[in-house]
Amino acid sequence: MSLYSSCTSAASSAGSSVSSTTKTSEIDCLLAGAGYRVRSSDLRHVAQRLERLDAAMVNSPAEVSQLASDVVHYNPSDIASWVDSLLSEFNQTASLPSDLPELPELVVGPVLNQTVLAEDAWTDHDAPQHQQLNNQFPVMTAMEEDSGIRLVHVLLTCAESVQRGDLAFAGSLIEDMQSLLARVNTSCGIGKVAGYFIDALSLRIFTPQGVGFGGGVGLDAAYENEVLYHHFYEACPYLKFAHFTANQAILEAFDGHDCVHVVDFNLMHGLQWPALIQALALRPGGPPALRLTGIGPPSPDGRDSLREVGLRLSELARSVNVLFSFRGVAASRLEDVKPWMLQVRPKEAVAVNSIMQLHRLLGSEPSRNSPMEMVLGWIRNLNPKIMTVIEQEANHNQPGFLDRFTEALYYYSTMFDSLEACTLQPEKALAEIYIQREICNVVCCEGSARVERHEPLAKWRVRLGQAGFRPLHLGSNAFKQASMLLTLFSAEGYCVEEKEGCLTLGWHSRPLIAASAWEALALPDANSPATAPGIFVNPHSNPPVNSL
Amino acid sequence: MRHQPRPSPRPHEAMQRKKAEADHREKKPKFCINDHIDILIEILKRLDGPSLGVASSVCRLWCTIARSDSIWEHLCFRHVSSPPPSSLRTIVVALGGYKQLYMVCVRPVLSRLLHSDLVRSRVWTRDEVQLSLSLFCVDYYERRLLGDTSPSSLMFLCKPVNV
Repeated sequence: MSLYSSCTSAASSAGSSVSSTTKTSEIDCLLAGAGYRVRSSDLRHVAQRLERLDAAMVNSPAEVSQLASDVVHYNPSDIASWVDSLLSEFNQTASLPSDLPELPELVVGPVLNQTVLAEDAWTDHDAPQHQQLNNQFPVMTAMEEDSGIRLVHVLLTCAESVQRGDLAFAGSLIEDMQSLLARVNTSCGIGKVAGYFIDALSLRIFTPQGVGFGGGVGLDAAYENEVLYHHFYEACPYLKFAHFTANQAILEAFDGHDCVHVVDFNLMHGLQWPALIQALALRPGGPPALRLTGIGPPSPDGRDSLREVGLRLSELARSVNVLFSFRGVAASRLEDVKPWMLQVRPKEAVAVNSIMQLHRLLGSEPSRNSPMEMVLGWIRNLNPKIMTVIEQEANHNQPGFLDRFTEALYYYSTMFDSLEACTLQPEKALAEIYIQREICNVVCCEGSARVERHEPLAKWRVRLGQAGFRPLHLGSNAFKQASMLLTLFSAEGYCVEEKEGCLTLGWHSRPLIAASAWEALALPDANSPATAPGIFVNPHSNPPVNSL
Repeated sequence: MRHQPRPSPRPHEAMQRKKAEADHREKKPKFCINDHIDILIEILKRLDGPSLGVASSVCRLWCTIARSDSIWEHLCFRHVSSPPPSSLRTIVVALGGYKQLYMVCVRPVLSRLLHSDLVRSRVWTRDEVQLSLSLFCVDYYERRLLGDTSPSSLMFLCKPVNV
């Protein structure tokens, strides 16, 4: 307990003698055993004072030596008054805010763990703030930390009241939070993340339901999304990791095949494919004939962005002597895509590539003939050699709003933490807007408007296993490549982990994005009885008993 | 044959003979590196990037040689453990050439990897070559698709390393 450590450090620096006192009920007996007289009711106050004294001593060593030699202190066993007198010796400015609240008891059980963990993530930020702040006011950092912690507490309280339906109270809490925000540094750390979440909550509370945010609704949003996505790609390594890992898996799966077909569920600018084209060109034995089918939203004004991307990729492929053909499929939602649009040919090896797209098919409750089931079914029928699935490693699809909110707060604060290392502007600012849109969608939207339904890898394993897919292990080449990629990103906090054949990229031991590869199990023969433990989804027969 | 007495040299002839001897002395092989391009190439091949840049300012011949892609090809793969596949050249040339590859990709990647490994004379592995090439390819593609003013995906390579 920090109280004890503060006491012992004060003891060693003051060199006090132990005097035994045996006062009874009011005095804290544990401290009495060490020779100090403190009333139990004063404990919290003394603890705070000791921490401030500690900070003050660290910041002005000159005064400490003066204290040690010149000043006379009486009765150090009466810690409360001793600490007060020492603090006054340090001539602290009078503005020790009297309204500094007691640290609230964090009552709610599961919330406590999340908040405490989140604190750990944020103390990484407060450290540089300590150095930046003027050393004359060590008290300020304590207050900022307090404000930060309070901010989190009020955020969670607000979310809880939204879940209860008490929007009036939630609205008043928004005002409290705005004023708290004024006391923290909003350009980084907890202040910045809290700002985004407060905005998202206000949108939810004060805007009528049914309005979609950040889901990429509307045609102009598609172009904006592309630009933001590109800057997110530049500012941090998550998408690069996704692309390179998927490419490595696809490259290995295509070994030995001469006609290959890649289906990309979200083409965007097609940044993933130049590297694959180049790797195929260098393949020993020569490149295969490559077909790429890119799925993307329809573009406004007759501007055919899919075709433009396809043209550039063809140019690149031609200059490195790879036979290449491109096809664009415009669809605003993945469930609108039908397999015949992909025109898969019988002899070719197919790879399906989904980067943060599958979670958009999820609904709140599992149901029969859900979009997810349908899409996984036709993917399975394509009999792909490999399906690469990259998803956010987070649990943002929980039914309860508070759980979702808490998880999102933790997840996105870690992600913002990692983004601090980026110094490229405007990449960083636009990447933050990209992330902010995700936050808005998770927090504000419900029903079909909420498309950012992230689920952790464990759930995807179960779901894909039930849909008739078997995991393929991403080899050591993929791991090596990912590690090398991270070495090139100078920030020291990223970490790649391998978990049962899947790779995750995270920040300081919190995984944020997970990459996995799958292959379709052989479809059961129509004539023979089902031999496998019956958990396939066979779209030609009745829907399965287990709902996904 | 009757021995004819040697006529005494006239001054004009003596001077001519002396001049011929002097010329002969001058024409004795004085080594000029520019006459031996193969040696010159061997020497330039062993320079590092910045020195090659300096060398290209010496004279026209050196400029031509120092800018030729084959010297930069050698520079790119000097530290590689196994020789690169022969098909590599077509691709690198198509994507902008070895000098471009070195300036934009190899040099920052190598310096970053060497720095983080704290090992100076380290052999570059085939995987690192592959990664550099892929990054180079993405960069080439981005310039083609979005124009030269687009954010370069290789900017992150130029960031200073956190110590």
